[in-house]
Amino acid sequence: MKEFLKSRSMKIFMITIFVVIVLAVFTNSIENNFVSSTINGVTYPLSKVSAAATNDDDRSIDEIKAENEKLKKENADLRSQLVNYYDVLTENSRLWKFYDLKKENPQYSLVPCTVLRRDSNDDFYSFTIDKGTTSDISVNDPVVSENGLVGWVSEVDLSTCKVVTVLSPQTSVGAIDNRTSDTGIVSGSAKYCDDNLTTMSKLSADHKVKKGDIITSTGISGLYPKGLIIGEVVDICYDTYNTSYYAVIKPYDNIKEITELAIITDYTGQGEVLINEKSGKKK
Amino acid sequence: MKNVKIYRYLAYSLEILLLFILGSTPSLLPAIYGATPCLLISVAITIAVFESEVVAMIFGLVCGVLTDIGFSNSIGTFTIALTIVCFVIGFGANNFITITFTNMLLGTVVIVSAVLSLHFLISYVLKGYDNGAVYFVNHYISRIVQTIITTALLYFVNKFVYTTLNE
Repeated sequence: MKEFLKSRSMKIFMITIFVVIVLAVFTNSIENNFVSSTINGVTYPLSKVSAAATNDDDRSIDEIKAENEKLKKENADLRSQLVNYYDVLTENSRLWKFYDLKKENPQYSLVPCTVLRRDSNDDFYSFTIDKGTTSDISVNDPVVSENGLVGWVSEVDLSTCKVVTVLSPQTSVGAIDNRTSDTGIVSGSAKYCDDNLTTMSKLSADHKVKKGDIITSTGISGLYPKGLIIGEVVDICYDTYNTSYYAVIKPYDNIKEITELAIITDYTGQGEVLINEKSGKKK
Repeated sequence: MKNVKIYRYLAYSLEILLLFILGSTPSLLPAIYGATPCLLISVAITIAVFESEVVAMIFGLVCGVLTDIGFSNSIGTFTIALTIVCFVIGFGANNFITITFTNMLLGTVVIVSAVLSLHFLISYVLKGYDNGAVYFVNHYISRIVQTIITTALLYFVNKFVYTTLNE
């Protein structure tokens, strides 16, 4: 045993563990570090290809062949007109989804994106998307679909970013019932996440929230824009542990399977409270 | 002789890459009882039982890094845990234990349960989230069982790779 402890294998092991621990501390403490950027950069093309392949998984081979033939013909016709036609077409179809959102909120800067991979170890359905700091994405940016809030950016590197969904307990969104003006905090729960549900806690004892009410963000924190739809109330429950009421919210999207999204990189009022808090001038 | 080893390591690398894609591609693996197996833990363990401790450690490290970057953009629990576990397995398999399917399976039950429970502890309990027991029962037990099953299956795949590409 003593020989083994002094062996070359043991020395290699000790050095490796030391390096791994240093890298773990480094990557956990510095955002957008070169280690995670490099690893994500290496795996990005693979994930991009596999994610694209599974987006059409419900079509038969014959359908795909027929579509392929059609596309080849179209491609030949259009190649002379526009070299990057398909890229533009894809981008355009994505942008159309968010056209209404943009029209209603012209102050939003939207970056369309797609889900690159879903993490099998995170049960709150977080995922990685194909846009990073090169597309002006930063931590805490809200992630939306055409139907409302999906989550927020928790980590970002050059070409990808990690999104924590509204189904996760990590999420904390100031929310308001549009009908009654009751306020609360929207946060995920292990109890409900599997059913694509989240919760709105901290409701007052005399709240008037009812099933079917639409919940939107308050925008008070400066992290989420005001009026962003979060979902619809499907149940009201009482938490005996916290002795308070909470509403169970159903987002309008199936967050577990969503693939087409947009990130709001800028909007009027973004970060205002945070900035004022830092300078001691709380709004 | 040396070429055979290189081909074997190449085969392992391709296997890891394939399983990484399989595990991280959206909607590809169906979730059973709210979870999918951790394929990279399975492959790291099954490589470690056939290889020397240093080689086992390197493949454990790679699998750990890939598992961690799927979960967050940083190196963490899985990298450290799999690096240590694979080194220990590799050393044990070469010096103390005769590897049979039963031995490997028993070891897998302990290792997979320990690694995933550690992950649950760090990523859930220590963060102070509610309903920890519900979360563990609904997701982690299923994940542990599925990972053990995939480890059993991958044992035969890697045994084949090892025996075929061995000097």
